[in-house]
Amino acid sequence: MMKHLLGTVMGAALLAWAIPAGAQTRTIVIGYQLPLTGDSSHYGEVFRNAAEIKLQEFKDAGGMPGANISVRYEDSKNDAKEGRNIAQMFVDDKSIVGVLGDFNSTVSMAAAEIYAKAGMPQLSQTASHPDFVKISKWQFRNITTQAYEGPFNAGWMREKGISKASVVAIQNDWGQSCAGNFVDAFKAKGGTVLSTEYFNPATRDFRSIVTKLNRAAPEALYLCMFYEDGASFMQQRKELGNTAQLFGASSLFEDQLVKLAGPAADGLFLSSNFMPTNPDPKVQKFVTEYKTKYGSVPNQFAAQAYDAMGIMLEAIKKAGPNVTRDSLRDALAQTKDYPGVTGATTFDPVTREPQKTVVRMTIANGQYVLAK
Amino acid sequence: MLDIYLLQQIINGLSIGLVYALMAIGFTLIFGVLNVVNFAHGEVYMIGAFAGLMLITWSAPPLLGVVLFVLAVGAATGIGLERLAFKPFRRFRDEASLRSRAMREATLLSSLAVSIVTREVMTHIFGSEMQTIPQAWLLQHPIRIGALMITDGDLVIFAASVVMLGALQYMLFRTRIGLSIRAVANSPLGAQFVGIDTDRAIIATFAVGSMLGAVAGILVGLYSGTITPQMGFAPGIKAFVAMVMGGLSSIPGAVICALLLGVAESITTEFLASGWQDLVAYAFLIATLVFFPQGLFGVGRDRA
Repeated sequence: MMKHLLGTVMGAALLAWAIPAGAQTRTIVIGYQLPLTGDSSHYGEVFRNAAEIKLQEFKDAGGMPGANISVRYEDSKNDAKEGRNIAQMFVDDKSIVGVLGDFNSTVSMAAAEIYAKAGMPQLSQTASHPDFVKISKWQFRNITTQAYEGPFNAGWMREKGISKASVVAIQNDWGQSCAGNFVDAFKAKGGTVLSTEYFNPATRDFRSIVTKLNRAAPEALYLCMFYEDGASFMQQRKELGNTAQLFGASSLFEDQLVKLAGPAADGLFLSSNFMPTNPDPKVQKFVTEYKTKYGSVPNQFAAQAYDAMGIMLEAIKKAGPNVTRDSLRDALAQTKDYPGVTGATTFDPVTREPQKTVVRMTIANGQYVLAK
Repeated sequence: MLDIYLLQQIINGLSIGLVYALMAIGFTLIFGVLNVVNFAHGEVYMIGAFAGLMLITWSAPPLLGVVLFVLAVGAATGIGLERLAFKPFRRFRDEASLRSRAMREATLLSSLAVSIVTREVMTHIFGSEMQTIPQAWLLQHPIRIGALMITDGDLVIFAASVVMLGALQYMLFRTRIGLSIRAVANSPLGAQFVGIDTDRAIIATFAVGSMLGAVAGILVGLYSGTITPQMGFAPGIKAFVAMVMGGLSSIPGAVICALLLGVAESITTEFLASGWQDLVAYAFLIATLVFFPQGLFGVGRDRA
């Protein structure tokens, strides 16, 4: 009885506190989980930089009447456990209506289970594992998946007359889906995959793998890795005299790669949906603003985050100042032809997979250029 | 069976092993004297690499000049590290404190703390991405021997290991400071009783161990093309495994075990897959601990 009474009193007190708060300008918070320390922090940094630019642009363009939108950044250290802790924290924070992040598929998927259970819309700018959006109706992403990229690159290789290829991939969820999708498509298109070599994250010595590849002697290599691994791999491959044609996942599109690997990176073929030299005024506006504010040319990861933030803000605006986690999810699901810097984005009404356009590129004399 | 590719794999393995060995030398020296693991050794290695790289980008001295500069930076870092993480725990000179396990474990944690703080501060300043190294400085020029391929970096690292090991043995067995270092390693209390300045010996150990660590950092950085705030962590773990396998305080033992680990890793890649190589390294460690509790080259000693 006493307990019941106490509950009622507390409930009434809470209600009394909540009503005047609701009558004023509401604060809507977007949670952003991303690696800000640890060995992936440079990805988190560019996400935050790009997201801040987008938020400022949104506010400058009038923002949202009746509500004040802010972002709460939390550092997941690129660690699945941390990712889950943050997810729990965001779910408990009643002011948060939607979440952006995380960086890689492993952490994003670990957090996604919590968001799925609690009913929190989650939009990752980069998680490209095929299973990510299959977790629940609350997951979205702003990047084309390996299920699209793998077959695209396999077809490209076959067009160039390559029939024997080997795959070198990082040993994580993303690497496996990158390698798997490519291998299946390459075989389906009549090619032979001689070997698939996985390496542990943070490996810096690829000489053993290259020696093994020299023995198998494929005509082309498909690289499922990020630019730092890519730079080390390409340098050591050159050292050991491997001359197979190089193809890579879009994750290798990063100016740093060319700086780190030098001439060893020349001749790499890859696809991407963002090029900072694209004359499109939207892209140029973003590139100029990013350069002024942070002193460097934004990479595709920055572009990915910039658009993810944009899609989120559009959806919040569509849902109105009384936005809830439910209404935000529905608004996100209706995203159609969002005009971003990574191409027009539409979420498939059934699978929620994004549809985008990609371009073919290669590295020549230390520059990314459109491939013929 | 033993074809050219397998031979190449063994060479690859030896060069990986030399990288671990370079790091293990300084690591084992400090352990041998203080009987604690210096978790910040990987950060000394990283600071050595960054200091060398900064000198390289600022002006371009010959490689030997870079090495001398890094030696100085390493010594300073080592002395600073000792002051920060180890000295505060040596305030008490009585026998109970000197033999106290808790005291030793406290320095283990304080060195870990220094290591984490240093790494994150460096990440904050330089970013966690790989630093750009001028192409001409990379020790990656291939040298062809028949059908086998090695790089100039392999030779530099091999030479550095030999010089370091030789110089260290000379210092430990032929000089006065080496004698006092060995005395402290043998019994800190006994050393004090015969009038050895133990503080000085310990500081000297840190300076020398860190000089070796810092030079290892810049050489391996130029060799692998990877200089990042995180670069000390993975080889640090392998150096630790090599040290334990080698019997904790035997420097030549640690070097041999480091080479063994390197070759085991590349052979694993050849016959299984690259993803298994850490498993093999740790399996070696467990097997050593089970069958040779003193390590492969260790001698029993009082660790109470």
